[in-house]
Amino acid sequence: MTTKSAYLLADNVSPATVTNTSSLLRIIALALISGAAIASRLFAVINFESIIHEFDPWFNYRATRVLASQGFYAFWNWFDPTAWYPLGRVVGGTIYPGLMATSGVIYSVLHALNLPVDIRNICVLLAPGFSALTAWSTYMFTKEMKDESAGLLAAAFIGIVPGYISRSVAGSYDNEAIAIFLLMFTFFAWIKALKTGSAFFGTIAALFYFYMVAAWGMLSVFVFTLHKFSPRTLGGYAFITNMIPLHALALILMGRYSSRLYVGYSSWYAVGTLASMQVPFVGFQPVRTSEHMAALGVFGLLQIIAFAELVRSHVSSKQFQTLLFASVIGMGILGTLAIVGLTYKGWIAPWTGRFYSLWDTGYAKKYIPIIASVSEHQPTAWPSFFMDLQFLIFLFPAGVIMCFRQLRDEHVFVIIYAVVASYFAGVMVRLMLTLTPVVCVASAIAFSSLLDTYIDPTEPEIVEDSSTDVDAPQTEGSSNVAAPTPKKAKKAKDAAPLPSGPLSDIVSSVTAGSFKRGERPRGVFGLDTRLAVIVHAVGMLIFFVMHCTWVTANAYSSPSVVLSSQNPDGSQHIIDDFREAYYWLRQNTPEDAVVMSWWDYGYQIAGMADRPTLVDNNTWNNTHIATVGKAMSSSEEVAYPILRKHDVDYVLIIFGGLIGYSGDDINKFLWMVRIAQGVWPDEIQEPNYFTRTGEYRVDDAASATMKNSLMYKMSYYRFAELFGSNQAVDRVRGQQVPKTGPTLDYLDEAFTSENWIVRIYQVKKEDSLGRDLKSANAFAQGKKRKRTKPAPRRRAIQ
Amino acid sequence: MMERWRSGFSLILLALFVPSLVSAGHSFENTAIVRTVELGGALVHVTTTYAVKALEHSSKYTIALGGLEHEKTSWLEAKIKGRAGVLPLELVGTDPTSGVALYDVDLPETLKVGETAHVVVETTQTHATHPWPEVASQKDGQALKYLTDLLVISPYQTLVQRTKVKSPSPNIFSYTTPEEMSDFTLEDPVTKSGATLTYGPYKNIPPSSTEDFLNEKQKRITIHYAYDWPVLEVTKLKRSAEISHWGANLNIEDNIDLHNAGPALKGHFSRLEHQSQKFFGKPAPHMLPSISLHLPAGIHSVYYYDMIGNVSTSNLRTSPSVPKGSQSNQYSVLELRPRYPIFGGWNYSFTLGWDSPLKDSAGWDKKTGKWIVGVQVMTHVPGAVVNDAEVKIILPEGATDVDFYPPFPAIMNEFSTHITYLDTTGRPAITFHYKDLTHKHVGTIYVSYKVPFSAHLKKPMAVATALMSVFMLAFVWKRVDIRIQKHK
Repeated sequence: MTTKSAYLLADNVSPATVTNTSSLLRIIALALISGAAIASRLFAVINFESIIHEFDPWFNYRATRVLASQGFYAFWNWFDPTAWYPLGRVVGGTIYPGLMATSGVIYSVLHALNLPVDIRNICVLLAPGFSALTAWSTYMFTKEMKDESAGLLAAAFIGIVPGYISRSVAGSYDNEAIAIFLLMFTFFAWIKALKTGSAFFGTIAALFYFYMVAAWGMLSVFVFTLHKFSPRTLGGYAFITNMIPLHALALILMGRYSSRLYVGYSSWYAVGTLASMQVPFVGFQPVRTSEHMAALGVFGLLQIIAFAELVRSHVSSKQFQTLLFASVIGMGILGTLAIVGLTYKGWIAPWTGRFYSLWDTGYAKKYIPIIASVSEHQPTAWPSFFMDLQFLIFLFPAGVIMCFRQLRDEHVFVIIYAVVASYFAGVMVRLMLTLTPVVCVASAIAFSSLLDTYIDPTEPEIVEDSSTDVDAPQTEGSSNVAAPTPKKAKKAKDAAPLPSGPLSDIVSSVTAGSFKRGERPRGVFGLDTRLAVIVHAVGMLIFFVMHCTWVTANAYSSPSVVLSSQNPDGSQHIIDDFREAYYWLRQNTPEDAVVMSWWDYGYQIAGMADRPTLVDNNTWNNTHIATVGKAMSSSEEVAYPILRKHDVDYVLIIFGGLIGYSGDDINKFLWMVRIAQGVWPDEIQEPNYFTRTGEYRVDDAASATMKNSLMYKMSYYRFAELFGSNQAVDRVRGQQVPKTGPTLDYLDEAFTSENWIVRIYQVKKEDSLGRDLKSANAFAQGKKRKRTKPAPRRRAIQ
Repeated sequence: MMERWRSGFSLILLALFVPSLVSAGHSFENTAIVRTVELGGALVHVTTTYAVKALEHSSKYTIALGGLEHEKTSWLEAKIKGRAGVLPLELVGTDPTSGVALYDVDLPETLKVGETAHVVVETTQTHATHPWPEVASQKDGQALKYLTDLLVISPYQTLVQRTKVKSPSPNIFSYTTPEEMSDFTLEDPVTKSGATLTYGPYKNIPPSSTEDFLNEKQKRITIHYAYDWPVLEVTKLKRSAEISHWGANLNIEDNIDLHNAGPALKGHFSRLEHQSQKFFGKPAPHMLPSISLHLPAGIHSVYYYDMIGNVSTSNLRTSPSVPKGSQSNQYSVLELRPRYPIFGGWNYSFTLGWDSPLKDSAGWDKKTGKWIVGVQVMTHVPGAVVNDAEVKIILPEGATDVDFYPPFPAIMNEFSTHITYLDTTGRPAITFHYKDLTHKHVGTIYVSYKVPFSAHLKKPMAVATALMSVFMLAFVWKRVDIRIQKHK
């Protein structure tokens, strides 16, 4: 076939050479993408150091160290007496061990090869390493959607897109680090199983599903995240559990049931569910709780349909209809009875609050303050979509609509995924992460269609009798997949026959404008148009890369354990107060000294200071947290018995007033009050902490309850003295602090870090003479006891 | 006959336990002994000069250290005054009851009767001082107490002796005035002038290393003085030196557990107090804000971290390597600041390491075909004593004929095998254990070994084999079709 060409192509190249070259180029491109994905995540290591970030990763890191040093069984049975003092925590049964197991395996393999890599470095670099794998699995997934070039684009996008980098920079050693790879690979295996009807790929999907269940405890998508609140909540794997059944259901409803679907789904569900139940933290949830009912229901439905298909192939259609009618009624009654019976017996619990939280994502937030207190549970602001996805967010809808053009089975998956993930990403900031992969896939499809169209050298023929040219409708058109170059030739057979549903007709007429016979031919003419579009497209890509680099470097690469500022000469100044204080605790306090702090710092104290803590980021026991909240928000006299009862030796608080670190405890204080109020509504009341006019203040105008609270006293103890004769100013609140600061009778200042960010107080033991500490302190300072009674008596004698 | 046998027997006994107690007593006479004690924090430096007159032909002079002194002395060196050579010393024995230790000094030449010599004995004492009062608040100063024997003991007759105690500041709070010294002096037994206390001169002291003398005449003196620098102890030092011929690199890593042995901080640490003291330029004397260490010249890739990561507060000034054999005394300076100021009783442990070119510290001996590598025993932390040190030198894989020459004998040496990056058989390693090291102990351990050429090739061969087998596996995997069902 000879067609007019916009520019010359070498035509004396053998097809084998083209295939080989393109596969080599693909491998090189993937390697470069992996390199870019890893490199862009190393900003944190280069700007700071190889350190574990944030809060939760510190626990994962600590658990991994136990796994690496003591072996898997010790880890499995690990009871941690230092967390949630004095309750302790059964760690092995309350975590998703996939992440730690992954690092543990890498650690053992490296050490077996005599490569003594430090476990910390493995943990730090795990997320970048897995991001390369994510890029690869996204490539595989997108390849199934369109072709290799779209796959490469998608891999490049996901490699550097900030929405994913935000949770996978070096050092953010969290479940998300490996979970996105597992998510994409499970989806790929599922699509592959669906396409080929292969039980092998179904089982692969199931195995990766199991891995994901074992890994992803953090992010629950369908069930709103109660994980911060209770350990018996679902992890992010619920996302897959529900995505795949939803896809299967959609296919059934679209009348696309096939034996491939049956084999793929059944093998995935049976193997995957059994495997996932092996994780102790999951247990029997997959057959009991409502979040998993969809998967089970679709599994049952598939069996029924398969059976019905079998019956239909054996009986006449008249009989079949009667049979269908009878069995639908019969099964409806049976099913209802079964659900009622099981619910009544308490074996399944489909109608709990969690069921509603499935639909009303604000449910948990409304009723449980501790969930609302986490910043990443806030709704997503519009700018953050652009911040995290840049131009992909505009291409994303285009890509989804492209999927309607062909609407093969796998395209239905992308569409469902896109809709569901968009909804949840709008609800909560952290769920942007699950949206990111599908955005990359859809955008890559759109973008590569654009490039395909404009790079394709085929000129539209200006002959009027295009009826003879059978190839034209396929080779031309704005979203052409199969260009007639040798490289793309084999793609043509890949494309399944176009399903001609009414919807896809509408969509294709809207998007592409079908090439109707007799009209003027449409297409791209000449080099200039091609160049104009391609240059702009490349420009967008370049800006995307610049944007990603900038966002990654500036917004997502701060370890938050170490803060950075600039010296007057422009050099970097490290503010290392957290580690200073934690290390002081580690080196200069008894090993069993119990440290009380707000729960945010629990994991860090356990990880860096290696001391028992009262509450930590696991937040499974609301009462315990409320106890800490109560101790912090009540006066010294009230707090002291609480502290003593819990064997607290040190109280650690974060105070940013001196250098303007806004994430400090005074700013979090109201949450402590609220959570304490939830348990002791009679003793702690939020309004008492505001001024009369309803303001939250720390200056002279602060309410008496506020000024007497332990938190306030610890934060501002001797703070005003630092300013000498000047007025002391809290630089976070921008308020002037009273000149005479609070005094402490029941606690002693034990350590204050360089910039006063971390302040540690020691809880005094009971006075050895049996006085209360207040009067003992007054005596020690040489103050006269206030003689309330003797004085009048003396006067009476006179 | 009986008599003779008995005396002979006792002589044998004496010879077994403290052989020179009697035999050495008459060969010399000390015309004068001057002891100078330079008080410090963790370390106390004592110089004793013996003016010696020979009464017999003899080349072995014996010095005695009291039990208290001997226990604290970690370094001992004898010289002839004005000469550079160090005299060989040999521990003759220790008296089990009094603890007196006797050392034989080999004089450079035999002294004839009536000839004189000046023997200078330098000792460094560790853990000889203790803080008093034992606790001090942030505003308080720091004072130490030093306890020692009044008289310098010697197995010989001494005509005159005096002890000078030099305190780092004239601020001496109290000192012992010995009483009942009429046997030895008629003047004041002690005089103070400025920062120096002089005990003596005491005259006509009989051979004093005997138990009777020690029980009757020896006295203890205590000096209580102000000391304005932190008293530092390195409770544990673990150094590992890894030699790599492939990388032409010597990596040295120190794990240091630092402890402030000054008075424990009374009450609590107030940052406000600390900052105002810093502002007014009067930091607490028992507080350690930073240390500056001298590291070898030519080092690179220096790292300083502790258990929870990199410590961001340090400055390094490197100097280029100096050619071997040159007398240039260059070094790199590392100013390191701990995460927090270290007050009395506080600990801080950290890791410090660096790489240096192997050629700076290694040489190839053509005659024997051996490599000789010198590794310093430790990095000196100024003013600190190292309680326990463990120096591990890791030789290249396949090194044979290992010999080592420590600058002073270790308490224990052990050989082990160290397996690290991609090793197959592991590397031979020697570990030296030391106690109570001071700045005097900063010596070099020389290790010599042979590395055959085949040992150099071991690692690349192993890696190449492993990679090759991976490729082979992949090759086989790609080419062999193990599917049961053939695709169309």
